[in-house]
Amino acid sequence: MTTPRLSRRDWLKLASAGVVSYSMAPWFSQLADAAAPNPKRKRACILLWMNGGASQLETFDCKPGHRNGGPIKEIATSVPGLKISEFLPKLAQQMHHLTVIRSMATKEGDHTRAAYHLRTGYLPTGSIQYPTLGSLVAKELGNEEAALPNFVSIAAAPFLSPGVYSSGFLGPEYSPLMIGNQGYWFGNTGNYANMLKVQDLLPPKEIAETQVAARLELVKQMQGEFAARRPGMSSASQQAAYQRAVRLMRTAASKAFDLDEEKDSLRDAYGRNLFGQGCLLARRLIERGVPFVEVTHSGSNNVGIGWDTHENNFEQVRQNCATLDPAWATLLTDLKERGLLDTTTIIWMGEFGRTPIINSQRGRDHYPNAWTTVIGGGGVKGGLQYGKTSRDGSKVEENPVNVQNFIATVVQALGIDHTKQNMSNVGRPIRIADAGSKPIQEVLA
Amino acid sequence: MRTKLLLIALVLTGTLQGAAPLARTARGGHSADEVRRVAALIDEQIAAGWQRAAVSPAELADDATFLRRASLDIVGKIPPVHDVRRFLADRSPEKRLRAIEQLLESPSYANHFTAIWLELLLPEAQADFQKRYLLISMHRWLRKNFAENQPYDKMVRELLTLPMTSNNGRGQYFNIYDENGPISPMGYYMAKQGKPEDLAASVGRTFLGVRLECAQCHDHPFGKWTREEFWSQAAFFAGLKGPQNENFFAQPLNEVSDRRELLIPNTERVAQARFLDGKQPKWRFKVGARSTLAEWMTARDNPFFARAIVNRMWEHFFGVGIVDPVDDLVDSNPPSHPELLDLLAQEFVAHDYDLKFLIRAITASRAYQLSSVQSGPEVDPRLFARRAMKGLTANQLFDSLCMATGHRDLTSLMQRYVNFGSTTPRSRFQELFAEQERKIEYHSSIPQALTMMNHQLIADQTHPDRGEVLGAIVASDFMSNSGKIEALFLAALSRKPTAAEADRFLKYVERGGATGNQKQALADVFWALLNSSEFKFNH
Repeated sequence: MTTPRLSRRDWLKLASAGVVSYSMAPWFSQLADAAAPNPKRKRACILLWMNGGASQLETFDCKPGHRNGGPIKEIATSVPGLKISEFLPKLAQQMHHLTVIRSMATKEGDHTRAAYHLRTGYLPTGSIQYPTLGSLVAKELGNEEAALPNFVSIAAAPFLSPGVYSSGFLGPEYSPLMIGNQGYWFGNTGNYANMLKVQDLLPPKEIAETQVAARLELVKQMQGEFAARRPGMSSASQQAAYQRAVRLMRTAASKAFDLDEEKDSLRDAYGRNLFGQGCLLARRLIERGVPFVEVTHSGSNNVGIGWDTHENNFEQVRQNCATLDPAWATLLTDLKERGLLDTTTIIWMGEFGRTPIINSQRGRDHYPNAWTTVIGGGGVKGGLQYGKTSRDGSKVEENPVNVQNFIATVVQALGIDHTKQNMSNVGRPIRIADAGSKPIQEVLA
Repeated sequence: MRTKLLLIALVLTGTLQGAAPLARTARGGHSADEVRRVAALIDEQIAAGWQRAAVSPAELADDATFLRRASLDIVGKIPPVHDVRRFLADRSPEKRLRAIEQLLESPSYANHFTAIWLELLLPEAQADFQKRYLLISMHRWLRKNFAENQPYDKMVRELLTLPMTSNNGRGQYFNIYDENGPISPMGYYMAKQGKPEDLAASVGRTFLGVRLECAQCHDHPFGKWTREEFWSQAAFFAGLKGPQNENFFAQPLNEVSDRRELLIPNTERVAQARFLDGKQPKWRFKVGARSTLAEWMTARDNPFFARAIVNRMWEHFFGVGIVDPVDDLVDSNPPSHPELLDLLAQEFVAHDYDLKFLIRAITASRAYQLSSVQSGPEVDPRLFARRAMKGLTANQLFDSLCMATGHRDLTSLMQRYVNFGSTTPRSRFQELFAEQERKIEYHSSIPQALTMMNHQLIADQTHPDRGEVLGAIVASDFMSNSGKIEALFLAALSRKPTAAEADRFLKYVERGGATGNQKQALADVFWALLNSSEFKFNH
């Protein structure tokens, strides 16, 4: 027996036409590894979010020989003429998959507002709740019937700006399943295996499997009776959410989160830390058809905003890169080997860059005027450098990129029309990327 | 421990009846007759709409449904079991009116409406953790107003005319962290950083029911409001001076109170403060621009003010506004029942902007008390021919869970609103069950369902020994299994089981469910009730 592949909307249509009753919805079906890849999926996206704002000068836009450049060296990469920081030796071998945008020119220098801007494409306004990028993509590329959620956020540190992880006016169907976002504040990196579990995924151990089944049967009957007497979107959505949650709970879909299935050597290559294993989890989810996964890197000690290197910048960035470099490089090779890289767009960004001038604590402060993001994989040309900053790093000299054009580019790379509008909570349609935005054609494949 | 269980059990079975008087006469000079008169006017208008559309209304909701609905709407949580039992046993024809009185007297009334108005007034706090600190002082100010049943016009005037400067002319120092400091709505101005355009947009939307901000940057193609009008409204706040450093919000604001013009950004034009109905303000000596605006807004003949609030309250109770969305009172978005809107506004003003009177009148109407069960074909929800089902807000859901299970939420205001780097069960629910725009089209998510099924709080409270209410019921040897099932239904769903349900669940419990253990089977029943759609909707 197979489950009919009907979306909730289809069910609603059929039900209102009297063809089926709500209680006939394929409830709690125990079949099928629902985690099988969704054949309809064209593309997917992994966002590597550098919480706190990573320094461009010690990563992808080094300024050797200038006093703003500090003590670090540049190294050659797999792309002739493209050099990056010595802190990223493994990634250097994968640069042919990536495009470095060295000309980000944004406006916000405050963590909360800037994170909101980069992650939603809009500046915060009082009343409009803009959805974060993952929710926008989940809506466009997601499969309503999949057992796995269409947006998973790994190791998020949402305390500074809870709004930037919200699905906003798109509603909770597009909100992220958040994994490992607890314990971020006090840096609990040692326990990453435990952190990377889905919250509330499994019933308490004291409840036996047969008892769970009996409970679900009781609920199923009550839900069906209730929905039959009060048909409509609300009760149907409630049934659908339970149905999907139960499938996630009881079928092989939840195996996606079991990293022990992976070879030790591969787990080592990603790095045995929260970000490294988070990237491995991202690959497992993408492989199973989840269209958007983000992995937050909160610094080597996982102290919330670990890229916020106001002090001792060079040592801190070096440490951060020690976990970033193997994880990201392995993610690229792993995706490539599995034939997923051509359909998976990778984004590396934070909320802003760091000041070229080194402050008295050997740190760098917030700098939105000229900084770097990286995109690669599906829909994007590899091995490219786009835009340029001045010798001292303070100004963008070529091809400035603002937030809305960046978002438009990413979205376009995913095969989504960036001018598409969604109805907002204030009754006004809002574009995926702000009006007037243009994708950067030069970097799109 | 034993005594506690026994006490809970006694309350659950209703053995301790009769002490608390249910009857209370309406206060504030409004007789119950006044309430009935206005309720009858509402029903006349609604019935006329049914006739025009040739639809027949649903029947009246039964007593249990009514009490649960009114409790969720007025005090933000389901009723306690003993209230349900007493209400169901009461034979008086006046009992619905009296139940409303009891709910309005509860301290939870003020808490519930405070939570709702906090989201309306400080939506910024959703996205910005710094602004969450402002919720604490705003909570205190709102709560005081609702607890004292401050006339609505007076409350809004206090907000709009709040002095910015102290006697020595310097900015008013305001300690937002002080949970015991003077009660002031200053946090509202601080959340908007004193920006005239943000204040004008918020005041327009919240109190006048108009979406001005769409006209902030350009004349809106379909909207009524022009850019000029937007900035003329903002000009009433032109004297405010925001903090020097935009990134640090907790600083005093200053004001030149007689300033009332603003340069429209990127133009050479200056907007003068002007009322939205086109009238010119009459400026008086030493009366500030904000006070002049407040006088116009709260004048008895203001075309927006009373309509906006009665419509907003209507939407609160019915899930859909007479004008819907509620903050878009323009010609292009007409009311479903124009006469009703006018009439409610007039009655609200005539009753001195008394919010409790408005609630009494709305909830006494037949329209409010209709069943949500769909019997005939689907009809437009704006005919109010059956009661639309609303999704619970995060706070309603969490507080109802506490009520049903006996879980006690001991978090302070600071933990509730700021919640810096910790996760409480309430914050988990707030994160997962965020407010939705259309209450009657409620979307559910996978993480919501997982949390309701497997969260530690649910696991504990549906454990036959650890659960507070469940434990008490399970341990009450004097109750039969049927009695226990009935108590579980009353606790979770605020009603008795139907005959079919009673039969089905009794069989389940008697055979010991899946484990052969009757206690576990009772726990299964309770778990299933808490996870039913019925629990998560106000129906």
